[in-house]
Amino acid sequence: MRTAFRSVTGLATALVVLAGSWTPASAQAPIKIGASLSLTGTYAALGQNQHRGYQLCAKHVNEKGGVLGRKIEFVLYDDQSQPATGVRLYEKLITQDKVDLVMGPYSSAITEAVANVNEKYKMPMVAPMASTTSIFKKGRKFIFMVQSAAEVYLEGLVEMAAKRGLKTIAIINEDTLFPKATVQGTIELAKKNGLQVVFVEAYPKGNPDFSAILTKIRAANPDVLGAATYFDDAVAITRQMKELNVNPKMYGVTVGGDLPTFYQLLGKNAEFVYGATQWEVELPYPGAKEFLQAYTMEFPGRDLSYHSAGGYGGCQVLVEAIKRAGSLDGEKIREAVLKLDINTVYGGFKVDEGGFQISHKMVTFQWQEGKKVIVWPDELAAGKALFPTPPWTRR
Amino acid sequence: MGVIITPAMVGQVVISGLLAGALYSMVALGLALIFGVMRVINVAHGTILMLGAYTTFWWFQLLGINPYLSLLVSMPLMFLLGAFLQRSMVHRVVDAPELSSLLLTFGISIALVNVTQYAFSSDVRSVEFLTGSFLVGPLALSKSRLISFAFAVGLTLFAFWFLQKTKLGKAIRATSQSREVAMVCGVNVQRIHLYAFGMASALAAAGGSLVAVIVAIQPEMGQVYTFKSFLVIVLGGAGNYPGALLGGMLLGLVEQLSSLFLTTQVSEAVAYVLLVLVLLLRPTGLFGGRST
Amino acid sequence: MKRAFIAALGVLLVALALYPITATGYGIRFMLQLFMWVALAQSWNLISGLTGYVSFGHVAFFGTGAYATGILVVTHGWHWMPASLMGGVAGAILALIIGYPCLRLKGPYFAISMLGLNEVMRVLVSYFEGLTGGGSGLSLPALHASVQIYYATGLAAVAVTATAFLIITSRFGLRLMTIREDEVAAEAMGIDTARYKLYAFLLSAFVPGVVGGLQARDQGYIEPMAVFPLLTTITMIVMALFGGKGTVWGPVLGAVTLFVFQELVWARFLYLHQVLFGAIIIVVVLLMPRGILGILQQRYQLPRTI
Repeated sequence: MRTAFRSVTGLATALVVLAGSWTPASAQAPIKIGASLSLTGTYAALGQNQHRGYQLCAKHVNEKGGVLGRKIEFVLYDDQSQPATGVRLYEKLITQDKVDLVMGPYSSAITEAVANVNEKYKMPMVAPMASTTSIFKKGRKFIFMVQSAAEVYLEGLVEMAAKRGLKTIAIINEDTLFPKATVQGTIELAKKNGLQVVFVEAYPKGNPDFSAILTKIRAANPDVLGAATYFDDAVAITRQMKELNVNPKMYGVTVGGDLPTFYQLLGKNAEFVYGATQWEVELPYPGAKEFLQAYTMEFPGRDLSYHSAGGYGGCQVLVEAIKRAGSLDGEKIREAVLKLDINTVYGGFKVDEGGFQISHKMVTFQWQEGKKVIVWPDELAAGKALFPTPPWTRR
Repeated sequence: MGVIITPAMVGQVVISGLLAGALYSMVALGLALIFGVMRVINVAHGTILMLGAYTTFWWFQLLGINPYLSLLVSMPLMFLLGAFLQRSMVHRVVDAPELSSLLLTFGISIALVNVTQYAFSSDVRSVEFLTGSFLVGPLALSKSRLISFAFAVGLTLFAFWFLQKTKLGKAIRATSQSREVAMVCGVNVQRIHLYAFGMASALAAAGGSLVAVIVAIQPEMGQVYTFKSFLVIVLGGAGNYPGALLGGMLLGLVEQLSSLFLTTQVSEAVAYVLLVLVLLLRPTGLFGGRST
Repeated sequence: MKRAFIAALGVLLVALALYPITATGYGIRFMLQLFMWVALAQSWNLISGLTGYVSFGHVAFFGTGAYATGILVVTHGWHWMPASLMGGVAGAILALIIGYPCLRLKGPYFAISMLGLNEVMRVLVSYFEGLTGGGSGLSLPALHASVQIYYATGLAAVAVTATAFLIITSRFGLRLMTIREDEVAAEAMGIDTARYKLYAFLLSAFVPGVVGGLQARDQGYIEPMAVFPLLTTITMIVMALFGGKGTVWGPVLGAVTLFVFQELVWARFLYLHQVLFGAIIIVVVLLMPRGILGILQQRYQLPRTI
């Protein structure tokens, strides 16, 4: 009995050791692409969308035979929505896991923190989820922007307002990096378009009660209200606008207004709201429809937003750059990226010397009858804006 | 870039403050119960509120019936959860130094939040039921907040009646004041602890159910309510149940008024500065409380 | 026995000093953050382990130091080394201002006041955006100094552990522990409890400030929510508790064990690692509140200076 036990454990141990030391002896080892994503914590919902974008892209690329004759494989960690963790994880990916390339994390704040790491190791990083201009204006060489900048999120709203002869605008924002950048940009745009900024106020992240700020806005009576938001606040502000009977002629939000859940939660109260989005599935970008189909099949019932498309598109950019560079060398890939002028599922991609995005277009849409209708810019518009937004009591 | 503040505006935010305050009071009453009876600082209080909110969400999502009826489910359910937590873990840190209860309840909180995140995902939910408001002159009274105010006041008054008039309630108050004397009078202190924790959890759950119709529901939503409950307890005086009521209303008003006269950004700071000031100058609370 | 221990310690320190020669970038970052946790857990130990006053917002000193250092580096062009020391000074000043009134509060109230302090600092930093960048955060000029920060943080960890040793073996330490056991009796014995508590508090706030400054330099970017999180306070407390609060080596043991464990084991469980952390906290509080060294101390009659 004892000897039988011993030999079984001996065999088991041997198998375990063997399994542990076995490495696939393939000449076609996959290209490892590392990234840390916010899978838990404050950014979890959107980080997970981005995660799905990366995963789907890898699947599709591999189905088509990979790149440079090799498959690609994502090595992913959870940074728990913390910049410090992200920094440590990118160090780990680059120096310990020895990934070949990296892709960006979620949010401008974390991207800003980790940008120092990949720059140190001269490893190019396509950063699909960072739209804060300052990140790409610091003389960094190895980081590339995919999104349109935060500063232009409300450009459509402002331009449309000016075109219709509106005169005053109020802007509110969440007090974090990205919305603050949006506010700065919007103030500039307002000045350029002849709108007077009558009220600006920030609110802390997670603030649930907007009574006071909306009461002040009601008193200021602006023609346009622009809110630089994320999701929860966009929903809360819209609801509370109805409760407090705040009726600007145009009201737009930034992040969050484009999610289907926005309409699901608000129902009819979401009508007439303008939103800015980096991407919509209706836009005539190559492969967008196929992307939507594949995504819904692969991840039934899960949220799809521009974060998913951005993750996918960013990965497409990297793969294209690898193809054109013909190698995994950091410098060569960097040069390849700088020369790119392509359209992905996500839209246009072209960056300037510093990695700042210059070709991707933001679109402004309006919720009409439960659908997002793209109303700006004119060349991509699918319909006209319903203007002015009727007061709550008359809907 | 400011606006001139009119009395109507002040009136508006005062109303908002009172409506919110009633909710804070009810939830904080739960925390006060736990601290008063067991000297336990329950950092998981907001997490229970969150679970109450999710209960309401799923109730509405799966059954489509009036979400306010879900109180009939969320409150007993969380009562049971609270009782379970008390029986299995919290009873061991009653009377222990505050560090134990702080950490234990924090551990419970983090575990519950992440299990919720895993089970229900981090996607933000909400219950779309009653929107809009009653317009009375220049003032707008949000329907959903009015109803939750009504429920909060009702439940709080009921809780008070319970504490004052029923045998169990009196036993709870007695244990709050002096455990030894209560034991001598024949009170089964262990059982009281159980009921108190359960009751407190039910109150938190009610808070969650009521805000489910108002705010965004997501696994991390509870922490801010825990902090606010702490604030209320400090303002009202720990273990001082009527104090919790007044403290809640005061907090609601302070938040809204500072948001109006200053900025919304600052209103967050004002609340905490108030906390520290009250702790330093009148640790027994603005409305007088236990002096231990 | 004691000599063997000191010799082993010496070897360890030499190994740590030589480590950067062969380490990867990740290895250096990992160790540097490990040193940070050792320093934090030990600092918390100095006030809460020794006097029993639970500082439930101790990360406030870390964040304050981070911002003080950041501002000095960005706005006034200081070098990060003196700037980090000033971060420590900033932490100590904050402790002085707040400690003087707050330490008069009893147990739970002190804990809550510290929690309130942390939140106050966070919102104050967000408010004075001209100075701190507010919600946008503060970006330091790019500098790759991980190896120097490694040594600096390591030095901080060694310094605070040495401080713990010196205090625990001194009369000052005994007095602090008397306060912990029975403050009323301590007063009756003529110990100026207010003064001693304040000293301990000041000492406990200095190193987090320094370490916060060093982290700010290492990360290159800080924002209010990243440097004032409750989770950091909890983590340093659990580390100190796990190893044994009130001992010299307890916080070191706790920090090393938990940080390594976290990095190696549960970072693999993408979605459930926080649940595991919660479970660990519960286990530590319920089953081993005295920590490993505390238990060993009792069982084997180990000296107080462990």
